[in-house]
Amino acid sequence: MTGKNFWRDNAALLWVVLILAVLGVAGYLSMGQTAFVRTTLSGLTLGALFFMVAAGLTLIFGLMDVLNFAHGAMFMLGAYLGWQFFTNPTFLFGLMPLILALLAGLLLAPFFGRLFSTLEFSEPLQRSAPALLGLAGAVVIFLSARGLDILELAKTAMVATMTAADPLAEASPQEALSIFWLRPVGMFLAGALLAMATARPGDQSRTFHRDQVRRALIGAAVLLLLTVAATLFREAAPRAVLLWDANLRFFVALLVGALLGAGIGGAIEIMLIRPLYVRPIYQVIVTLGLAYVLREVIQLLWQPLAYQMSRPPLFSQPGQAESILAWFRTNNVTVDVLGVTFPSYRLFIIFLGIVMLVALGLLMNYTRLGMIIRAGVQDRQMVEALGINVQRVFTLVFMLGAGLAALGGIGAAPFIPVQPNMGDAFQLQAFIVVVIGGMGSYSGAAIGALLLGLARAFGDYLALKYNLSPAIAEASTVIIMAIVLLVRPAGLFGRKE
Amino acid sequence: MEKDNILEVESIHTFIGQFHILEGVSLRVPRGSITVLLGRNGAGKTTTLKSILGLTPPRQGVVRFDGQPIQGKPAYEIAAMGIGYVPEHRAIFRNLTVAENLKIAERKKGDLDRKADFIFSLFPDLKRLYRLPGNHLSGGQQQMLAVARALVADNKLLLIDEPSEGLAPILIEQMMEAIRNLSTTTTVLLVEQNFIMASQLAENYYILDDGKTVHQGRMADLVQDKELIHRMLGTAVRGGGAG
Repeated sequence: MTGKNFWRDNAALLWVVLILAVLGVAGYLSMGQTAFVRTTLSGLTLGALFFMVAAGLTLIFGLMDVLNFAHGAMFMLGAYLGWQFFTNPTFLFGLMPLILALLAGLLLAPFFGRLFSTLEFSEPLQRSAPALLGLAGAVVIFLSARGLDILELAKTAMVATMTAADPLAEASPQEALSIFWLRPVGMFLAGALLAMATARPGDQSRTFHRDQVRRALIGAAVLLLLTVAATLFREAAPRAVLLWDANLRFFVALLVGALLGAGIGGAIEIMLIRPLYVRPIYQVIVTLGLAYVLREVIQLLWQPLAYQMSRPPLFSQPGQAESILAWFRTNNVTVDVLGVTFPSYRLFIIFLGIVMLVALGLLMNYTRLGMIIRAGVQDRQMVEALGINVQRVFTLVFMLGAGLAALGGIGAAPFIPVQPNMGDAFQLQAFIVVVIGGMGSYSGAAIGALLLGLARAFGDYLALKYNLSPAIAEASTVIIMAIVLLVRPAGLFGRKE
Repeated sequence: MEKDNILEVESIHTFIGQFHILEGVSLRVPRGSITVLLGRNGAGKTTTLKSILGLTPPRQGVVRFDGQPIQGKPAYEIAAMGIGYVPEHRAIFRNLTVAENLKIAERKKGDLDRKADFIFSLFPDLKRLYRLPGNHLSGGQQQMLAVARALVADNKLLLIDEPSEGLAPILIEQMMEAIRNLSTTTTVLLVEQNFIMASQLAENYYILDDGKTVHQGRMADLVQDKELIHRMLGTAVRGGGAG
């Protein structure tokens, strides 16, 4: 009985493996080993990146029914932020005091909520206060950031760092502390104003518990201390980071890109997506608009240019390693894999994709959070009826998805140009992956990403060999999607409804 | 007097979209009893349960659980106060194993370890099926699991929606036995179309019609009143297979 169920449950997977095996043998025989191995490895590299973008997309859609059109922007942001950390962290460290101060102010929301609930407000004041406070907050943010030198520095110095012999020279600018300290103070005030706006003076329907207020105050105090530290070390910290070993800096940059991506994702969910769960269409439009806004912001900061992030020394020693094992000693730029010369960094991307797949698998199958996500994909109302705060799980999943996409972005930065629209193509492919794999299934996303990556690589190979238009590689992914949808309308691993 | 009611619902009005589904439902559930909600299809029984739990929050009216007003709170907070919910149509998590379906209902660490023996004594089948995914279970087994899931946390009140729906007669017997057993430790508000089952289990009843409570009283009195049963419940009185 269980044996029969095994075949039924895994039919889609077995079919995919079978088809891939047949195609693989046919390809191997007709293409010869060299071309076959190289094309397969290219496909796996692409597939790993597709997976990192698509995994978050599919979980976000499956759990909360949100089509996140800003997911490609997360990929792009990850690339920019990680690249900044790697090449010139001045920008990130210079902005940190402002962000921390703003967050400290925002954390005060429960405090104001409780304060307001004890006061009386007239009707017109109640109605206009949130909008006015919000506007005031926005104005104060604008004033606090106005003329900030690191925003300008990014424009000019980025081009310079790529050529500068001494990146440290570029990393030491900046306003005197006697002027700069006004900015975090302004940001804190702005955060407090926005917190007041969300606390809604006169709104009696929400109650704020004393514990909640105490936690908010402690949190704000901690963030303020961090703000002070970040303000004092905003020049020393980037210098110290630039003196680190470049390999270490690179791996920390991966982490920083992913964490900042997750943080931005969380902020987006809380501020933009959460108020709109009752109006799903608006959510789609918000994410679409957000993608454009983020791209414009990036263009403002770094110009509409394409940058190339350099590879860390670990993947850039001249010459070719004889095998993957030999590479661990020599750190060459290319590796001999089954007689094929392949860039070692791309092998690292394949490795990173597999690590993320395994990590996600462990998270989904062996943790309580994963169990709640899997249950919520099927029936989130019932999850809530069990006493679980689904809203918080939504935020976590959004952070997880954005973080993974951002990791993909910074991972890709050393071999695709870092530019404002770099996420768009990946977002489109990721949507196709999600449709192929089945909405809400991360293993489906893995299989879909693998299929698309291989299809793109082999499509490119065929186009080159037979002088066809390179468009056939791009078309092949859509054709695969059409075939899968004809055979299984819910996707390979989708649930049948 | 009021202290003895674990749940009090006072003239709640609930809308789903533009539809005015509940137009003044009131009921009281005495502590430690089984109370049943009767009524035709579409009378608002399921919506009443969902309104109590906050899944479809009432727009007007008061819901008091254990003496505290709970209307307007998010559903997860209401549930966490100690209300278990068994939805209709065996809504278990099909892609989770039986063990996970129970584990996810824990509110404190170790809930399941403490309750496992009790749950297996009510539904011995589940012990055998413990490692299987939910979609490998039969309809009856899924229904047992849905009830068992509501028993994992310490719930003071269980809202059970149509536990006998689509069950074979022998399973209905087992389900009735289980509900009777668990009502010794907790309070049950039951929605049930099968009148024979309802009449054998419940002490008190409420009849809903068109989103309003139209009759209430002791089950023992209702069973005598064939005319009222026929008028209010129509086809439901046919009885189902438990008899």
